[in-house]
Amino acid sequence: MHIDKDQIFAVLKANTLLILSDVGANDVTIDGSLTDLGANSIDRVEIVMNSLQELHLKIPVPELHGLKSLRAVVDLFYRYAAAQ
Amino acid sequence: MTGPAPRVAITGMGVICSIASDIDEFRAALRHGRCGVRQLHSQNTTIQVGATLRHFDFDTWLDQLSSTAAPLFKRARKILANTTDSTKWSVCSALQAVLNSGLNQLEADGLPCGLIVAGSNLALNYTAKNWRSFSTSSQFNPRYAMSFWDTNQLGCLSDILSLHGPGMTVGAAAASGNAAIFQAFHWLRAGIVKRCLVVGAGVEFSELELEGFALLGAAFCDPVDSEPDKACRPFDRTHAGFVFGEGSASVVLESLETDYPKPFLGEISGASLTLDGTHLPEPTVDGEVRSMQAALSAAELSPNQIGYLNAHGTGTPAGDRTECHAIKSVFQEHVYQLPVNSTKALTGHCFSASAVIELVACILQLNGGFAHPNRNLENPIDPEMHFLRSEAETLAAEYGLSNSFGFGGINSSVVIRKGIVDGGRN
Repeated sequence: MHIDKDQIFAVLKANTLLILSDVGANDVTIDGSLTDLGANSIDRVEIVMNSLQELHLKIPVPELHGLKSLRAVVDLFYRYAAAQ
Repeated sequence: MTGPAPRVAITGMGVICSIASDIDEFRAALRHGRCGVRQLHSQNTTIQVGATLRHFDFDTWLDQLSSTAAPLFKRARKILANTTDSTKWSVCSALQAVLNSGLNQLEADGLPCGLIVAGSNLALNYTAKNWRSFSTSSQFNPRYAMSFWDTNQLGCLSDILSLHGPGMTVGAAAASGNAAIFQAFHWLRAGIVKRCLVVGAGVEFSELELEGFALLGAAFCDPVDSEPDKACRPFDRTHAGFVFGEGSASVVLESLETDYPKPFLGEISGASLTLDGTHLPEPTVDGEVRSMQAALSAAELSPNQIGYLNAHGTGTPAGDRTECHAIKSVFQEHVYQLPVNSTKALTGHCFSASAVIELVACILQLNGGFAHPNRNLENPIDPEMHFLRSEAETLAAEYGLSNSFGFGGINSSVVIRKGIVDGGRN
């Protein structure tokens, strides 16, 4: 799959803005965390899973736990995108 | 109604779970800290462990009643010939409880008996199987439109047991069992019924629900190649999520008249049900504190009078931490000598059935003078608390408290008093 980290971040950002409707586009940064943006546990799951589905990626569930920043999410997605 | 509200006695109980198919087996399994968690071999879900009823065959179990309780046996066999597993588990524990009460017929005295089934969304795997069959071949169970309802359990149980009093299912996620006890407690205290059967119904999860729990990070989903019985580790520093279980437990509750001569197994002294005001899965210290305090208040007891605590203790890091803080907040210095254990380390988390299973566990421990081991607890997250460890301990307590907390901020606690029993009943 030909997808780079910027494209992954763009998808994550779009889904973040969709779920967290009171967050501004400039607030979503690669080194920020969803928790800091006000996402609760269900919001985080929803943003990550919606993005995975949009990117047609499959990642084992345990790998999705404990991701602290959007950069960690992007790196994980990228690793699987490159392999798939 | 005049005079004080009647006391509420437990006069019969039954249980089926991964470590026992009756009360005697359950008592022995608790005492020895046996664990029913085993490896699953599921292709479609991350979850690879569960405390399932893999060896339980309902028809074989029912056959043993053919000579001792022939009328019940005949009705149960006819009504349950083609129904959900959850309903069969419920009938198994309910018939045990009725027979254990010594009544055989709950309305023999002409008074209508209440029936409360704890749980909602009980037949999820039944629905999943029927949907798969329907979507591929247009075939489905002809009884489907009746059987998918949770309330079908009310119908089956009331038909088999000839019950005609008030009846309902009570849904409160993992706190359903305690919520049902809470409801029955108030029916009995208000004089609405003199007798009530409470059935903690087990949930049949499909792989979809299990994967959903894994995604939330609530369920244990590490790979397990060996020692699956070590997966569920409530209050241990290595706890890594709950392990689901299958099972059911039932209790017969009766108004305890002042000079009631009949031996009874225990009492429900108080019960509570409170909301956190949240739709999220995370528990709160404040909500759990209010739950325990409300149950103590209903029982008119102080925290120091509680001699044993059966924790919700699922083994999720957030849940265990929160419950520890809440217990310490309620019991203060008394926590140093308050024995605490979690039955879920042995039975897995049986969700809507769990609180009734744990109520039965409380009664067996209070009356039997022992507290069961906290299996897999080696390094407690809070060394100040008096957690049971790998061995059972002697217990000399008059009152116990049992917690159950559900997703969506649903909290419920029950205060239980030990019983006055003769040799044949316990």
